[in-house]
Amino acid sequence: MSRADLASGQVIRMSLLFRVQHLVLTVLLLVLAVTGFSLMYHDNALAQAIIRLEGGVHNRGIVHRIAAVLLMANVAHHLFYMLLSREGKREFQDLIIGRRDIDDFLQSLRYNIGAAAEYPLFGKYGYKEKFQYWGASVGTVLISITGFMLWAEEFSMRLFPKFVLDLALVVHGYQGLLAFVILFFWHLYNVHLHPSVFPMNPSWITGKVSAEWLRREHPLEYEKLKEEGLL
Amino acid sequence: MNRMRRHHLAAAVIAAAVLFAAGNALAATPGVGECMDCHGDKTIEKSLPDGKTLSLYVDLQEYRQSVHGGTSCVTCHADAKAPHDKLGKVSCSKCHGDAEKSYAGSAHGKKLRTKEASGVPGCDGCHGRHDIRKVKDPASRVFRLNIVATCLACHKDRALEARYHHLPDQKLIAAYEQSVHGLASKKAGLTGSAVCSDCHGNHGILPADEPKSATHRQNIPTMCGKCHAGILEQYEKSVHGKGMRGGIADSPVCTDCHGEHTIVRASDPSSPVNLRNIPRTCSGCHEKEGITSRYALPKKRFSSYMDTFHGIAVEYGMTKAANCASCHGVHDILPSSDPASSVNRANLQKTCGKCHPNASPNFAKGVVHVEVSPKKAMGVFAVRLFYTIFISALVILFVLHVGLELYGRWTRRRAGAQSGKEGKP
Repeated sequence: MSRADLASGQVIRMSLLFRVQHLVLTVLLLVLAVTGFSLMYHDNALAQAIIRLEGGVHNRGIVHRIAAVLLMANVAHHLFYMLLSREGKREFQDLIIGRRDIDDFLQSLRYNIGAAAEYPLFGKYGYKEKFQYWGASVGTVLISITGFMLWAEEFSMRLFPKFVLDLALVVHGYQGLLAFVILFFWHLYNVHLHPSVFPMNPSWITGKVSAEWLRREHPLEYEKLKEEGLL
Repeated sequence: MNRMRRHHLAAAVIAAAVLFAAGNALAATPGVGECMDCHGDKTIEKSLPDGKTLSLYVDLQEYRQSVHGGTSCVTCHADAKAPHDKLGKVSCSKCHGDAEKSYAGSAHGKKLRTKEASGVPGCDGCHGRHDIRKVKDPASRVFRLNIVATCLACHKDRALEARYHHLPDQKLIAAYEQSVHGLASKKAGLTGSAVCSDCHGNHGILPADEPKSATHRQNIPTMCGKCHAGILEQYEKSVHGKGMRGGIADSPVCTDCHGEHTIVRASDPSSPVNLRNIPRTCSGCHEKEGITSRYALPKKRFSSYMDTFHGIAVEYGMTKAANCASCHGVHDILPSSDPASSVNRANLQKTCGKCHPNASPNFAKGVVHVEVSPKKAMGVFAVRLFYTIFISALVILFVLHVGLELYGRWTRRRAGAQSGKEGKP
């Protein structure tokens, strides 16, 4: 963290690497959603227009698979980084879900209906972020496995009976829908529409948030940085 | 030399005798020559009550070249004298009894006997009058390659269609010209291609809704099988063929899948049996509630197929993907319960293997394009239900969470404003 950042009251929240990973993820998820849902909802006129735009179902499949492979590479890179690098390990610690997150969640509910006096104090990642992160991770793993099974259907059916592939197809589609719902209703609200960040939390582009915002939304992280002398 | 002269003399005597005999006959029945005295005149005509004129000219050469050219005028116009008034109607039945009899029972024949009949073809309507030729004569109106034009002369006529409401749509009939049969006879000049009379019959032609008609549903397979014998043999053994022969009127006959006058090659994109159109053609019956319930057929075969990769691919023109016929067969379709059926469970691996060369026995372990119900596909049904509930619940919870958060902010801000202090965030 440079002096200039401190002087302007800014704190780094996302390093460049995470920003790149996030941006790649965003673009690829959009491509996958457009190509995937147009197939899932192929009865819909808009879906049909999109498939035609993509050059038919065959090309749609190629685009979908290229994006999927890139996404998996991105995820694999992220996984290794989280497990092996110093920065990743620290982030990983911050992301582990514990009993405390459930308590925080319940306390926030109580607080909002006026039954609790204090809002829970979050570290770098509160229950909202953790839910988002782990939801996306589990979803990505599931959707990748089922995607591979469907991609190599002849190979898959040497290992599994056809009805397993039928299930894989359903899981793949609905898992995509689930991811979309989480991103749409949860993530976009939290990083764009939430009153504390509206119209946008800039950290996914600049990597920075204001120290004041951090103090209000993630007080434990704020305290930690202060103790470490970074603030 | 002497001998030759004697021959000439004999010939002259015989000729004179013949001429004399003819002259005697002339008094009662005129010969062709006498008739042509008047009817050979191109300007001879008669005024009709409606102000039009009718030419009474007969082209002698045409007549001589006709199949009846060797007879005489009075063979048909028995009451003709020279000169004469209006003659009686010519009847062909004197010689062509069988044809007349079957014509009398035909749609044309019955109509002709009614009072309002006009424009209904009698014998002359198709065969001509003085110029009738043998059916096999390429110049004949009813020669195989000419018969379509002869029939269409009336059946393409909108005025006629308007007059006789039960006549089929002239556009539909005229579509024959662009059909595979029509092009084969008209463009390629093949005499083996089906023309009107091959399907509809000739003198005894009947509308398709009469059971005796060659084009009645129950007679169609046999009728098409006259030429497509190998296909008929397959069809007879199929579930559709057996059903049809068993008196199930809903069971499809040739025309239900292929069309009638509009039949085109299967490779033509407009053909109902084109690779792209097969699913829609089959679903014409197999997605129909009435038919699937009546015959206890599996439901939603079409919509469930259209949701598979095969269905979607075909829908978007990837005709390499399997359509109904790829797995079920074409004319030889059998129910999956039949051990000989290509979709019998024992044969599935082989059938799938046509396109998936490495198909394992696992291909047969599961159901293919069935209705998603607990009975038919419990696994898929359960997973779908789980996700549907899970995602819906999640959306509701998200919305509640957001609502609650905004509600909390709003109440705190109001409380803060009342107490004069800044409310908590």
